[in-house]
Amino acid sequence: MPTELVMTHEAVPGFFGRLIDEGPVMGPRERARQPGFHHFDWLDSADDLVLEYQTTTIPPKKAFFPPRDVLFEFDLTDPPEFRAVRDATPFTLVGVHPCDLEGLRLLDDAYAQEPAEACWPANRARARIIGVDCTPDEYCFCTSVGSCHSRAACDLFLTPIERGRLVEVLTGAGEEMLRVSDVTEASDEDHAQAQQWRDDKEAAVTAGLDASPAEFADLLATGDFTDIWHEISSRCYSCGSCNTTCPTCFCFDINDEFDLGLTGGRRVRTWDSCQLAEFALVAGGHNFRRLRWQRVKHRWHRKFDYLYREFGTPYCTGCGRCSRACTADINIVDVSNQIIEAARQGVQG
Amino acid sequence: MEGPTKRFGNKPQIAFFDFACCEGCQLSVLQLEERLLDILELVDVVTWREAMSEYSNDYDIAFCEGSITREQDIERVREIREQAAILVTLGSCASGGCHNDLKNQWEMDEMLALVYGDQAEHFDTIPSRPITAVVEVDYKIYGCPVSLAEFVTVVKRILTGQSYEPPNQPVCVECKLNDHLCVLEKGEVCLGPVTRGGCDAICTGFGDACQGCRGLMDAANVGAMLKALTREQAHAIVRKVVERYGFTQDDIETKLRIYNNWPELNLEEIAANDD
Repeated sequence: MPTELVMTHEAVPGFFGRLIDEGPVMGPRERARQPGFHHFDWLDSADDLVLEYQTTTIPPKKAFFPPRDVLFEFDLTDPPEFRAVRDATPFTLVGVHPCDLEGLRLLDDAYAQEPAEACWPANRARARIIGVDCTPDEYCFCTSVGSCHSRAACDLFLTPIERGRLVEVLTGAGEEMLRVSDVTEASDEDHAQAQQWRDDKEAAVTAGLDASPAEFADLLATGDFTDIWHEISSRCYSCGSCNTTCPTCFCFDINDEFDLGLTGGRRVRTWDSCQLAEFALVAGGHNFRRLRWQRVKHRWHRKFDYLYREFGTPYCTGCGRCSRACTADINIVDVSNQIIEAARQGVQG
Repeated sequence: MEGPTKRFGNKPQIAFFDFACCEGCQLSVLQLEERLLDILELVDVVTWREAMSEYSNDYDIAFCEGSITREQDIERVREIREQAAILVTLGSCASGGCHNDLKNQWEMDEMLALVYGDQAEHFDTIPSRPITAVVEVDYKIYGCPVSLAEFVTVVKRILTGQSYEPPNQPVCVECKLNDHLCVLEKGEVCLGPVTRGGCDAICTGFGDACQGCRGLMDAANVGAMLKALTREQAHAIVRKVVERYGFTQDDIETKLRIYNNWPELNLEEIAANDD
């Protein structure tokens, strides 16, 4: 049982202000050009931090793997010279919802697979993380995939209560972040209010899968469901937004960019998407998933079948970003339930 | 490790040419400003009407902007093709299609009369087409205007003897990678999902909708865009947009036509050919 303390409303700005004084802090803040919409970005002061925010367009994985990430620079001397481009500055990531905490855990596992990826764990080791509880909207289905109350990857977790936040201290690093002046003892009433918040949150999740992750993985494997994939893909733009907003997608592309002098440059990796037509294009012009429906089907199997079998958990945190971002109204819950129903009725075509 | 090898022994000679267009792509290249000095370390510019007085017909690499709209343009671009070892089309007018091609919806006589009135007999015109429809080109840079980053990339590819495939992914990809807010989420219709990226989503970054200036990407799902208008269970956001502005298929067609009228836009045909 982790230590639970209370940070009053009055203490919150001072606490986050001190973190920002100590080093870089990334957290949810209002977009400069689009008031009312939030994204994860570096905070200049505690006033920038918005702890009650709707799910961001892209997830906080960008703190550890920027969408465009320079791996190293090179000079084309003989022999060539390589310079690693890694920032070692410690930072704090704050305001992370439970689904996104779960997303970080899933990426920890994915990138640890041999041959292990080196940049992700190095960046993860730089950061302290503070989670916050959230208010679900109609796209959230965290209760279906077990991420609703995740405390993965975080050092402190904050739950709203009447007089401030109930603070779960989950690690030694979390404990070190707190000063005596930040927190007070939690009363039974504080605990009860936090539990009420969790219960209310769970009850507010209205979307859900009609099968457990284990059952869904099995049902997906019972057939091709080609008719369903054809229908879904007739609406899909292959714009990749479901991947580029996903907290568990981990594929990337790598390119070398030369300086204008053509004597050196840098190697850059960029988030990639299996929904793009050229994702599975290989030398010789063969494309393993040339057709749109094949790519749509592939995504569902990655999320709920292949990676479920590999890691014992679906690679979906129920955050609903892909459904929100989809410009064609392809909703991950609706499509999954369509498959589940078809499989149960024995319509696998 | 093999470094990039330069294709040209000495500094290659570069020329810029314009056909029917606003010349905004050339102007954009000028806006490279101090980066132009780096490029001039690698190449000699011998012809560039918008930037210098000197002129030479002896060049290795030709950058051509604009559309072909007259018979004499065809001759001229063929001569350039003959001379240039490398021909690069600069911008959407030259590379795929742009505003000029809008006139193709009408009879050429009508267009001449509309523009030149009783002086029409002194002018000739043919249906507008990109340079890529007339001669073989080696490199294409889309955009209205071109993106400077892409221009620089193409210059480096040419000088190191590498090919360049224009991006074939929709604007949405770069929009998301830049963490821009989806324009649809703000309640505006955006052509990003079907439009070729490579622009780094500059318009949506400033909060504007994508106008589709780089043209439809290969295998764009235009059918999906039409379905979004008619589907009963339309996305709450799309439905809101459609209701607010009362969008119809004609509106979408009009918007798409601006940069996609070569060959003449046929939504049903494009939608039917979708995989």
